[in-house]
Amino acid sequence: MHRIPIARRTLFAGAALLAAGLAHPAFADETPQRGGTLKIAVLGLDTADPHRHTGSIAVQQVFVETLTSIADDGTVRPFLAERYSVSADGRTYEFAIRRGVRFHNGRELTAADVKANFERVRDTVKRGWLTSAMKLLTAVEATDSHTLRVSLSEPYAPFLNLLSELWIVAPESPGWAGTITRPIATGPFAFGEWQPKVRFRAPAHKQYWMAGKPYLDAVEFDLRDADDNSLALRAGDLHVARVPHDKAAQLKREGKVGVQHLKDTTWYFWSFNNRKPRPPFDDVRVRQAVTYMLDKPAYMRFIAGDAGVVTNQMAAPGNFFWDKALHEADRHAKPDPEKAAALLREAGVDPAAHTVRIVSWQDPYTQIVVQAMRRLGFGVDHQALDDIGAQRRLGQYDWDIAPMSSGPRADIFLRFVRMTSDGPNPVLWGGVQDGEFDRLVAQAVAAPDPADVRRNYLSAWQRAMERYYTVVVGHSANAIGVRPEVRGYTTGFTWGQHSAGGGVAFTWLAGNRS
Amino acid sequence: MTTLTAGSGSDSGRSRPAARRPVIVIGLAAAVLLLAAAGPELVANDPLAQSLELRNAGPSAAHPLGVDPLGRDMAARLAAGTRLSLAIALAGSAVALLLGAGVGLVAAVAGGWLRSVLMGLVDLVRTMPGVLLALVLMVALGNGAAPVILALGLAFAPIFALVAAATYRREMAAGYVQAALVLGSGRFALLRRHVLPNIVGALVTQAALVVPRAITTESVLSFLGLGVAPETPTWGRMIADGVPYIETAPHAALVPMMALSLVTVVCVLAGDRLRATLDPLRDTGTPRP
Amino acid sequence: MRSMGTLLVRQLLLIAAITVAVFLLVRVVPGDVVDVLAAEGALDADAVAEMRREMGLDLGWHEQFRIWLTRAAEGDLGLSLRFETPVVDMIGLALPHTLALAAAALAIGLALGIAIALAAALWPRSAAGWLLEIVNLWSIAIPTFCVGVAAILIFSVWLGWLPALGQTLMPALIIGIDIAGQIVKPLHEELKETMTAAHVRTARAKGLGPARVLLRHVLPGSLAVVVALGGIILAGLVGGTITVEVLFGLPGIGTLALDAIQGRDYPLVQAVILVLAVSVVLVNGLTELVQRLIDPRPRVGVA
Repeated sequence: MHRIPIARRTLFAGAALLAAGLAHPAFADETPQRGGTLKIAVLGLDTADPHRHTGSIAVQQVFVETLTSIADDGTVRPFLAERYSVSADGRTYEFAIRRGVRFHNGRELTAADVKANFERVRDTVKRGWLTSAMKLLTAVEATDSHTLRVSLSEPYAPFLNLLSELWIVAPESPGWAGTITRPIATGPFAFGEWQPKVRFRAPAHKQYWMAGKPYLDAVEFDLRDADDNSLALRAGDLHVARVPHDKAAQLKREGKVGVQHLKDTTWYFWSFNNRKPRPPFDDVRVRQAVTYMLDKPAYMRFIAGDAGVVTNQMAAPGNFFWDKALHEADRHAKPDPEKAAALLREAGVDPAAHTVRIVSWQDPYTQIVVQAMRRLGFGVDHQALDDIGAQRRLGQYDWDIAPMSSGPRADIFLRFVRMTSDGPNPVLWGGVQDGEFDRLVAQAVAAPDPADVRRNYLSAWQRAMERYYTVVVGHSANAIGVRPEVRGYTTGFTWGQHSAGGGVAFTWLAGNRS
Repeated sequence: MTTLTAGSGSDSGRSRPAARRPVIVIGLAAAVLLLAAAGPELVANDPLAQSLELRNAGPSAAHPLGVDPLGRDMAARLAAGTRLSLAIALAGSAVALLLGAGVGLVAAVAGGWLRSVLMGLVDLVRTMPGVLLALVLMVALGNGAAPVILALGLAFAPIFALVAAATYRREMAAGYVQAALVLGSGRFALLRRHVLPNIVGALVTQAALVVPRAITTESVLSFLGLGVAPETPTWGRMIADGVPYIETAPHAALVPMMALSLVTVVCVLAGDRLRATLDPLRDTGTPRP
Repeated sequence: MRSMGTLLVRQLLLIAAITVAVFLLVRVVPGDVVDVLAAEGALDADAVAEMRREMGLDLGWHEQFRIWLTRAAEGDLGLSLRFETPVVDMIGLALPHTLALAAAALAIGLALGIAIALAAALWPRSAAGWLLEIVNLWSIAIPTFCVGVAAILIFSVWLGWLPALGQTLMPALIIGIDIAGQIVKPLHEELKETMTAAHVRTARAKGLGPARVLLRHVLPGSLAVVVALGGIILAGLVGGTITVEVLFGLPGIGTLALDAIQGRDYPLVQAVILVLAVSVVLVNGLTELVQRLIDPRPRVGVA
């Protein structure tokens, strides 16, 4: 079989745009000190079984690792796989598993272990975002102790990126046959004590494969998932913690606690009900009309202050999949209330005769949408619900508009797949059912060349825009506050706190006596 | 809640010093009602209009109480909120009164197994932690004023049931009623002429205690994210909106907090006054629902 | 006077009824834990259906109830659907935080309440009388979470004294003052009444000082009213701890309850409400019992 090395996709030509505010403290010339416990608060941990995780990967990434890792620019990097290659037809991958990697119980990682993990995810767990990839898996074989060959039924562009979320756990972990209760894995910190929603403590892995790392004795996560950790950061109760945008700006001004941003963005959008549109929102002119009421710059400024960007695409400016021409042609870059009213008249819609049903989470920005609809003359029924309430209500498809947001993902495919007809959890995007859209996404996924991938994704997106399935308002990168004594810490592409290029394995605490 | 020790004690000048000066209390209560009735018309600004660029701005000539996190005029919201919060609390208390008194009276009049079942139900609702009960109800019912009123009505109904049942039994056992029955008065006429007025008095007295609790409970629900729709200006929502910015824009939470506290204090004092007037013999401190 | 047996049976019946009611109530709430997992992750329709089957959420509620009851009868309250951890363990971890908070608040509340009531009884024309009114009014009119927000603003933000989250002193003080406000008035009334009682008058006639009479003869007799208020105090504790725990980020039962409701974690919600309700029933039962022991006069009680 003829093999070519995988072309490094230049995904993030201009990622610097969003990372601009990011100040790296000068720690390069300092000698790392050992010891200490890093106290950190970023999202939560919802299960001890990494393959069954459904939400945040922020915490579990410190104890389990993956074959690949996403770099700051969104490209894929070797991690537990030292090298990988793909066949010319894009259907066979070969992974050279890193030698000398030891599980938390001291045993060495082999290709057979990785094979067992592929099979567990495919056959036992059968859920999560790897589902679509696993459906294509035709064979997984360990050709020797450290080589794994994986065959797919068709080419699949996001494969390597998605493997950055296929966690490698030792098959001897308790609960492997059902739900893993105490994962044994290869991460720089081991699975320690877990009190759901309260605290998770992970002690250092003494036989970790990166030489000399980790520096810390342990990391301790605060799992309460408070929205605002800025007081705790200032008081020193936490070393690293997520902070809301306005608090991040304040911390920057004060200059005591540093602020970093995730490398990928959260995107903000509103969706129309696409599965069972209710009149008058089944008329694309009405959708367009109400979109003219949306003041995108004010909306993003409200959410993220100076850290937000306005655009009309699910990829942020600078991203490989973002298109400048499309961005500049955005009709809704500025609000136009007169045009909104005129379009409604043209469509023969009297807003006073309709009550717009808006379903959202409880974030305050959703009220901007409510007020915009009210100004246009509509009556408004706003249901601001907790996560599950909103999920359930959206799934009933008896609403009109849903202002929502969605966080960083390891691959742009994970954003597109939600808008396909049988995509996972489609409710935030109004349950789009459009065969042509599906076809374009499938073409993108199967395309061998990155330029083709991009072209197909853009065609799909253009179609979504013309039909007003979902209207993108803009993007902002989530902020993480970092105390000054924390050295060597850098945020990743997603919320994950450990990757090939940074995170807690590289972190140490200055002035720490131990 | 404790078991009410009905009929114990005598009046020993128990109303609050302030409540003994009716002019002050009546004046304050009138001011609150006036604000609730006319406030929204007195304030020029729209309580819903947003000026996002002004968010969290402090007091100014155009916005005497400052601007909230969504750039809405605090004075306008406060005025609208006074009306809404009071209306919701009153409606919730009214639902609780009607529901509770209905159940309590049917139980007391019917007696027997029906009484056991109904009072058992009352005990059941009473035993569930009130805030939790309201929380679960709100999650089930969704946002809006009606669900809040219903949740308040259910949470506060038991106290009215207990008061109604107890007053009924006390009155029926009283000498004058027994005498009237012996003398051959019609049971229904007796109920209407003597027993009912006393029960109504006791219920209104209780309602005076419940209204301020209903106001605060509404605010707790909003604070926990379950209540009226987010843009609706009730005090609870305003506080919830302001709390995340307590550091940078304390006025956004403090203004509605002060309004709420002030009005609940007035309510309690007015309630004391009302009780002293309606029911001078049955003032046993302030049992809380 | 009802017998102790009736009392016991009634409390047991009440607990049984609460169990059923809570079970039904939780299922009235739209959404279940699978929605939570689906919302956070990316489950497709098949995966969602399969998870519901795995967790038994596709069964009728009576079937679910039968299964839950059978297990609960064996002391197994089940696993948290969300965290796959025994519910008993989660409550076990949360309970100490709440108990510590409640105990501290109770101690502060009783001490403050008794002190103010005593002072007001001893010196009726002093500032203590006003203090009594203010504390009472405060506890009725001002929600604990408002006090909490103000306290965070003043002590953590402006003065920078205490960390905003995770400490117990401020929450205990806030709930404590609330409890004091609730007991202070009835206690004061009782004190004044007892002071006119025969044995007290006798003691006074014997020439004992007012303070001594109060402490030795009046207070013990009046404490019965504090016992009678047991239910009120507990209700205040339960209501107060939920909001205050949430506000101060204390990992107690209140936070657990709110998380469980928001996560539609049925077994956990059931267990938490059950634990709280049973403790209310127990305290009410105990209160009634103690009252009968202290004061065996028949009461024109309600309920």
